[in-house]
Amino acid sequence: MAESRFLRARRAARSSTSDNTVTDDPLTVLLRRAGRGDQTAFAELYDSLSPLVHGVVLKVVRDPAQSEEVTQEVFVELWRLAARFDETRGSVTSWVATVAHRRAIDRVRSEQSSRDRVARQVSNIVRDYDDVSDEVESRFERVRVRRALERLSGVQREAVELAYFGGHTYREVAVLLEVAEGTVKTRIRDGMIRLRDELGGAA
Amino acid sequence: MSDIDIHHLAAAYALDALDVRERAAFEAHYPSCEVCRADVLDFRSTLAVVAEAEAMAPPADLRRRVLEEIAQTRQLSPHLPASVTDLAERRRRHRRTIATVMVAAVAAGLFLAGTLVVDGGDSPAYATELAKVFDHADARLVTLDGDGGGRVRVAWSGGAERAVLLADDLPEAPDGMAYELWLIDDSGPVPMNVLDGADDGEIRDAIVMDGGDGRVPTAWGITLEPATGSASPTGDILYVSTV
Repeated sequence: MAESRFLRARRAARSSTSDNTVTDDPLTVLLRRAGRGDQTAFAELYDSLSPLVHGVVLKVVRDPAQSEEVTQEVFVELWRLAARFDETRGSVTSWVATVAHRRAIDRVRSEQSSRDRVARQVSNIVRDYDDVSDEVESRFERVRVRRALERLSGVQREAVELAYFGGHTYREVAVLLEVAEGTVKTRIRDGMIRLRDELGGAA
Repeated sequence: MSDIDIHHLAAAYALDALDVRERAAFEAHYPSCEVCRADVLDFRSTLAVVAEAEAMAPPADLRRRVLEEIAQTRQLSPHLPASVTDLAERRRRHRRTIATVMVAAVAAGLFLAGTLVVDGGDSPAYATELAKVFDHADARLVTLDGDGGGRVRVAWSGGAERAVLLADDLPEAPDGMAYELWLIDDSGPVPMNVLDGADDGEIRDAIVMDGGDGRVPTAWGITLEPATGSASPTGDILYVSTV
């Protein structure tokens, strides 16, 4: 599905690079240009990264209309912060996923505390369809991640997923699972170390 | 929260699974802790892989809305790079200067209301002090605003009777001058500590606040003072926060 537009845009950006910065990572080049106010470069970044951002936001926030708002907030935030991206502190993908997840979490936690839900208009969700090779590529990636998650122990996976996708703090996870906070902290840490060993990091 | 505990929060932090207080404590700690910084970096890139597997295109018309909004949104300026000369040498100089300043302050009979307990540019001891601060429910962390450049934050807790100053990329103080931190309460500015900006601009000072619980800061401020420090501020307020 759509995440492979991400791969496609990566390839496209790689071939259309005219920037003479030291890095040749296409997303970094685009982000540098965006940081200097280049809206066209930012649009290309949007095309590459919006499935990643929206996917993680949707997984945490659940509500489609709210997720759309959060995805929009994330991209405005990325635009504002573009010049402050520091490639010594991780890849563009990693940074973007971090910003997206943090925003999604902030939304669910503030929603939880305020409780005043406003009726929201649910907009039409139009999906993009991708060509077959991208589909295969992304399916492979999904399987790889699912297998890595499966290789965690049951309790580790539960703790990591409740935290990352459920949006709960580890203290809340401890209450949910009726175990000690220290136990959850350990499961999360061991689980993440295992995942890191299985998956490595984003390019 | 002990010093060891704080190192073990990297995974939970990367998952955004810390509550507000722990998040603030960890964020104050990890940029200067090599192990935690590497852990956060690693865990985040692993999570990006997990996130990519959930990718889902947003509705097509969102693109237009995003591009419209960014066209009307001002971008932030980049952070200026810290200069990269020999850090170790500058840290040694920093230590000497702090020691000199403290001796001079004592010799001058200056009474600082705050007592420096840790000067920890690269020492893990400040992390312990920081953990003590965040162990208390009244712990707070504020960023001081200022045009001087760099980033200045203060974490404190009346319960812990402690304040920890975290400064990064602070410009060098002019010769014979030093930064001084002030706790401002109802009685006015109370001198907390003379800081030294001659380092690489990174300062990690833990200060015991005499009076602890009794001290309720309404603001924190930093001025430039003669290197021996002043009993009340004479220079302009360069960085300030309200509480």
